[in-house]
Amino acid sequence: MKKKKLITSDSLAMFVLLLPLLITVVLLYVMLFWTFYTSLSNWKGVSPNYTFVGLKWYKMMFTMDRFWTDFMNNLKWLTLGVLPTLFLALVIAYILEMSNLKKIETYLRTLILYPSAMSFVVTGTIWSWIYQPDKGVLNTIFSTLRLDFLKSMYTANPRTATYWLILIFIWQFLGLAVIILQSAFRSSELQEMIESALVDGASKTRILFQIIVPNIRSGLLILGSLLLISALKVFDIVYIVTFGGPGYSTDVLAFFMFIATFQQHLVSLGACLSMIIFIMAFMIIIPYTLYAFKRWFA
Amino acid sequence: MKRTWVAVGIFLLLMAAMGVAAERQLLIFHWWTAGGEREAADAMFEALAAKYPDIEVVENPVAGGGGVSHRVVLQARLAANMPPDTWQTLGGAELKSYVDAEYLEPLDDLWTELDYWSVIPKPLANAVTINGHPYVVPLNMHIQNILYYNKDLFDELGLTPPKNFAQLIEVAKQIKAAHPDMYPFALGSKEKWEAAFVFDSMLLEVGGPEHYVKLYKGLIDVKNDPIFEKALEMLQQLLDYTYPYHATLTWDESCGLVVSQDSAMVLMGTWAIGYFQSRGWKPGINFGAVTFPQEPERILLFHPDTYGIAVGAPNPTAARDWLKVVASPDLQIPTDVTQGGLFARIDIDPKEFPDPIRQELQEYVRTNPGKLILDQHGSIAPMSFTQAYWDAIAAFMASPDIKSTISTVADLFTVYEVEKEAAWYKWP
Repeated sequence: MKKKKLITSDSLAMFVLLLPLLITVVLLYVMLFWTFYTSLSNWKGVSPNYTFVGLKWYKMMFTMDRFWTDFMNNLKWLTLGVLPTLFLALVIAYILEMSNLKKIETYLRTLILYPSAMSFVVTGTIWSWIYQPDKGVLNTIFSTLRLDFLKSMYTANPRTATYWLILIFIWQFLGLAVIILQSAFRSSELQEMIESALVDGASKTRILFQIIVPNIRSGLLILGSLLLISALKVFDIVYIVTFGGPGYSTDVLAFFMFIATFQQHLVSLGACLSMIIFIMAFMIIIPYTLYAFKRWFA
Repeated sequence: MKRTWVAVGIFLLLMAAMGVAAERQLLIFHWWTAGGEREAADAMFEALAAKYPDIEVVENPVAGGGGVSHRVVLQARLAANMPPDTWQTLGGAELKSYVDAEYLEPLDDLWTELDYWSVIPKPLANAVTINGHPYVVPLNMHIQNILYYNKDLFDELGLTPPKNFAQLIEVAKQIKAAHPDMYPFALGSKEKWEAAFVFDSMLLEVGGPEHYVKLYKGLIDVKNDPIFEKALEMLQQLLDYTYPYHATLTWDESCGLVVSQDSAMVLMGTWAIGYFQSRGWKPGINFGAVTFPQEPERILLFHPDTYGIAVGAPNPTAARDWLKVVASPDLQIPTDVTQGGLFARIDIDPKEFPDPIRQELQEYVRTNPGKLILDQHGSIAPMSFTQAYWDAIAAFMASPDIKSTISTVADLFTVYEVEKEAAWYKWP
């Protein structure tokens, strides 16, 4: 009798504790399936229409020039947004850790972290002032210093606009990346290894690439996944700084999804775009998941 | 025990009181929340309170109203079958999307009761009539194709406001000659529609009103249309005198270029009057305005703000009373004077406007109601097409390529089935 009661209260506690997780999982996967189904239905206009039409909207999406522009832009974000950030963060974190800046290191870290503390809406607005070709900060400085050859159209030039947007992303995420890598540096095993390498007279570059990098793989992987996901779902910077323009040259999948769903009222097309973003995110996450599983079950 | 009963009693009384209050509530969604527009919304609700003091207005009951998010929240509520009583919508394609979804009640009886057909221009009635039924009550008309210019500068150089494209280029040349630092023609194409506005004026001049309507009804073969091509050529020619970084500016910032003397002219809707005034510029003194083009024919492109009654509205009688006020001069005069458009009713004295610009426009509309055509925002073509079309024209203005733009636009007409979707629009 007593035993039975114990089990009940145990399973009750378990149920209560698992409930939030269950709700999240159910919500997430129901929504995901719902989006998938919507992408196969014929919902255009403001009222839902779940008539099954198969791959109609996917076919339409793949013929759209805008979709391919967006897809290529997303790839640019994924490569040019992530790799330079990783590399710069590694170098900065290393300098902060290894140099004799220990006293001002805290202040420097705050300074670097500061951009991450602001929302994209704020930084996007500030950067659009900086980039404004006519009266913006950068070009005004270049004019004053008589460095007119450095002046640029920035986001007003359809060919280069995306790269200027990616620069904002790097600037904004660098601080966070540095912090994550710094904490990865600070494991005692690694510290010991570095110390003995120093005693052995290894150069600082060698320490970085042959001792530190191989030993902070998990940190790099987490940071890499985080940056990739953030770069993939980028929306705010584009929305605030260029609104996808000039034309749709800086458009990305997430922004097109928003326009298709709520401005064009092509909800099924929006759902198709969401599925593409989901698949891309999934592919990015796989390496991380495999790595995590390996560690858990090894 | 007694306490419980008292509590239950109070609760029931409260519920009853709420029920009574709900009888005369009006749940309304609108996007007039920005500066200037907020005052116009207040003017609307003051007019309602003067006529029906017992109606309590509940605005945008969900956080996140206003502008784009207004439509997102509204769309979700409508799909979930929880409509407000009434909401703001533009006439034309946006209205049609609500009618197609059967979210709005037809208002034939209300229009007959108010005799609204006889007091507003026929093209305005057509813009809110779908399948033969009026579905909303329009309260204003915004005019799209207005050329604003720096009056002092025009006086200084002895220029007259251009009436057609050749004159526009000539004026731009003279301004450029006198002030080489200036970009004579301002533009902000960040949100894309601004570019389509300018293009519309070119189309109107080359093709005239019939071609304009036919084009957006999807009845023109764009690939083999000399008018469309000529209009693009004109747009490209205008780019030489246009502010080159237009992709970075919004419409108000482009008007700001005129105020800051970086530019001398800008093509924008009636809402720019409010902007110029907010910068301390007086209409008719610091800035002038003419509709463009005026030759060969003076056509006004317009769109209305409107309100209707939701199917399944929680408070249908209050909504009906509200629409009666919307249709009345008591609401339209204070609201439209504040917000920037023209009066929907043409029996209101144009002298009610404080500025000479709108006095003249209202007078023109009154005497030539047939010269009105639905504009880009009102949109004859479906919204799915219009958004993509704006992108194409904005892209052209960023890097002009006539051939590829023609083929892109021609494809858009087919992909978005414009001919079928725009068949509802009747003009004149």
